[in-house]
Amino acid sequence: MIAMRRGAVGLLYAAPALVFVAVFVIYPMLDLIRMSLTNASLLGGGEFIGLKNYVKAAGDATFWGSLAFTARYTLFITPILIGAGFLLALLAVAPPRIARLTRTIVFMPVIIGLGSSSLLWVWLFDEQVGLINKLLQDLGLIAQPMVWFADATLGLWAVIASIVWKVVGYGMILLVAGIQSVGADIYEAAMLDGAGYWQRVVRITLPLTLRTIALTTLVSAIGSMLAFDQFYIMTAGGPKSETFTSVYWIYQNSFIYFKQGYGATLSLLLMAIIFIASTAQLLLMRRGAPT
Amino acid sequence: MGVSTALRRAILGATLALAANSPSQAAENLTMWVRASGANAAQHLVDLWNTGHADKIGLTVIPDNQVVSKLAIGVQSGDVPDVISFDLIYMPDFMRAGLLTDITDAMKGDANFAKVAPAFTHLATYKDRLYGTGFTPDVSILIYNKDLFRKAGLDPDKAPASLQDIHDDAKKIRALGPDVYGFYFSGSCPGCNIFTTSPMMVASGAKILPANGDEEPLAGTGVKEVLQLFRDMWSEGLIPKSAQPDNGANFVANFKTGKIGIQGAGGFLISDLKKDAPNLDFGVAFLPGAKEGQASAFVGGDVVAIPKGSKHSDIALSFIKWELTDDAQLEGLAKNNILPSRTDLATNKYFQAEPRVVTTAKAVGIGYVPWVFHFNDMVNSDSSPWIQMIQTAVFDGKVDEAIATAKAKMKEIANE
Repeated sequence: MIAMRRGAVGLLYAAPALVFVAVFVIYPMLDLIRMSLTNASLLGGGEFIGLKNYVKAAGDATFWGSLAFTARYTLFITPILIGAGFLLALLAVAPPRIARLTRTIVFMPVIIGLGSSSLLWVWLFDEQVGLINKLLQDLGLIAQPMVWFADATLGLWAVIASIVWKVVGYGMILLVAGIQSVGADIYEAAMLDGAGYWQRVVRITLPLTLRTIALTTLVSAIGSMLAFDQFYIMTAGGPKSETFTSVYWIYQNSFIYFKQGYGATLSLLLMAIIFIASTAQLLLMRRGAPT
Repeated sequence: MGVSTALRRAILGATLALAANSPSQAAENLTMWVRASGANAAQHLVDLWNTGHADKIGLTVIPDNQVVSKLAIGVQSGDVPDVISFDLIYMPDFMRAGLLTDITDAMKGDANFAKVAPAFTHLATYKDRLYGTGFTPDVSILIYNKDLFRKAGLDPDKAPASLQDIHDDAKKIRALGPDVYGFYFSGSCPGCNIFTTSPMMVASGAKILPANGDEEPLAGTGVKEVLQLFRDMWSEGLIPKSAQPDNGANFVANFKTGKIGIQGAGGFLISDLKKDAPNLDFGVAFLPGAKEGQASAFVGGDVVAIPKGSKHSDIALSFIKWELTDDAQLEGLAKNNILPSRTDLATNKYFQAEPRVVTTAKAVGIGYVPWVFHFNDMVNSDSSPWIQMIQTAVFDGKVDEAIATAKAKMKEIANE
């Protein structure tokens, strides 16, 4: 009887969270699944069409192409973000003056909206008035201003540069928390044993912050797989649709072509792919983590 | 209290009650939705209406990219504005989806409606029924820098009148210096190109978009002639390299620098240029075709319609009829430098001092607008066959291949 009462009280405490999850996660998810089985349009309607959208998605070359491009973007940007984030985190736990300066400078772009920062970088890369072309020309690295967004590869790297600047501070802060959780006594013992700075970094800091690195990598990879704003603003998917990300293509179908049912199907497929990739990543990292 | 007093009170009470319930007596408050980019022009018209009518209209500005979803959801839930103004290109999709009220019979005998630019009436007709009319138009034109024309030894009062003229004039202007270019267009902007490039094709006799799967898209030699012209100008360096990635952000910005000789633009640019580059001497002309004498324009801007389920459709209809009157077209639009949708008012007292605006207003009368479903799929999206065709033809030089690929893709979309 007491156990039952305790169970009921526990359920009561959990109820607000359960209701929140039911209303804002489970219901929308179920509705998304329902919508993916219809030909719903932004203009109205929505007849049940079974798995037709899924069959169409299987043969949608643009969707799979955009997925491959998104994966390429993720593979390029994630190591840069984690590597740069870790090095900056080492600076950010240095003596207070350097730490404060590093944290302030590197974290500042994080608070700028992604849309604003992307527009800022569009102008920085502009071939007529952009500072980057001017800098490269002054350094003698290029003879003529480059048209960055006329080429898919150059455009991709321009976007990567803008996003690294924008979000590296976020990873840095997570990693700072990880580094600071390592006990000072371990470093003291290592120093007494004669370990140098980089030896301490490689032998102590790196292994003991591996879980934080794994978490930061996961968050970064998922964020990159969902990239949209930066490409929408900086490349508009061009040239010739070569820089479409998966989410951009879903947006095109749902809101530009009005095909809500098909957009829902693509969203579910992308979600499933990210879920599988993230689970695999977690399992691999758990297997490699020190016990 | 006598019987007569009671009777008088009863009669007075009944009269007041009737007056209160009578729609002809009580002033109503109407709601109107307008897309953000048309809000300024719409506000002038609504303000003028409100000063002269007991029934008042309140304007709600909707972000451009939310108009479609808000209207569709509104019609389904019964929560719609009394009147709506939106990008005219959505008209066929909205009519087919049954989102708008049929106003054919009400407009049939209206003398002012008969003078509205044919492009609007054509676009607002579905299965021989009318669902809207012109509201606040914009139109594409050719714009050229007279200072550069003078420096290049060209006649500043003679605008390019054919595709060949554009090519010849652009070459002479390019020779003026390394940072001066003959021509400009936004190479990654589908909307800019349907607005300014397609009229040159149409003027040359082409039909661009199919109304259904049976019609041939990109039909006629005009498509190839214009793409070949652009390709040649690109190869010869008459167009700046920055044109290739321009997704519309610099659609008119480069012209304002005074270093571009010729380009397609919209009527809106005239007031922009006068404000932002007051010393720039520029001319305006119709967008030409392959041969001299051929010309066209893309009629853009907003239409006005009554959503299905409007609670004051009778007053909304009065508003639509009123906005086509001389008073509304001249005092609401022309007085504020906005083009009228009636072709007979292209030359009016407010435009007399600015012949370039008269030319622009006349372009509304000769302009076209494609009647097509899935406009976004075919043209407006960043991955559309329309923009892919332009990019492949102009920047890669594969003109025939680009047209053939776009034709096939457009047919596929038209058949959906």
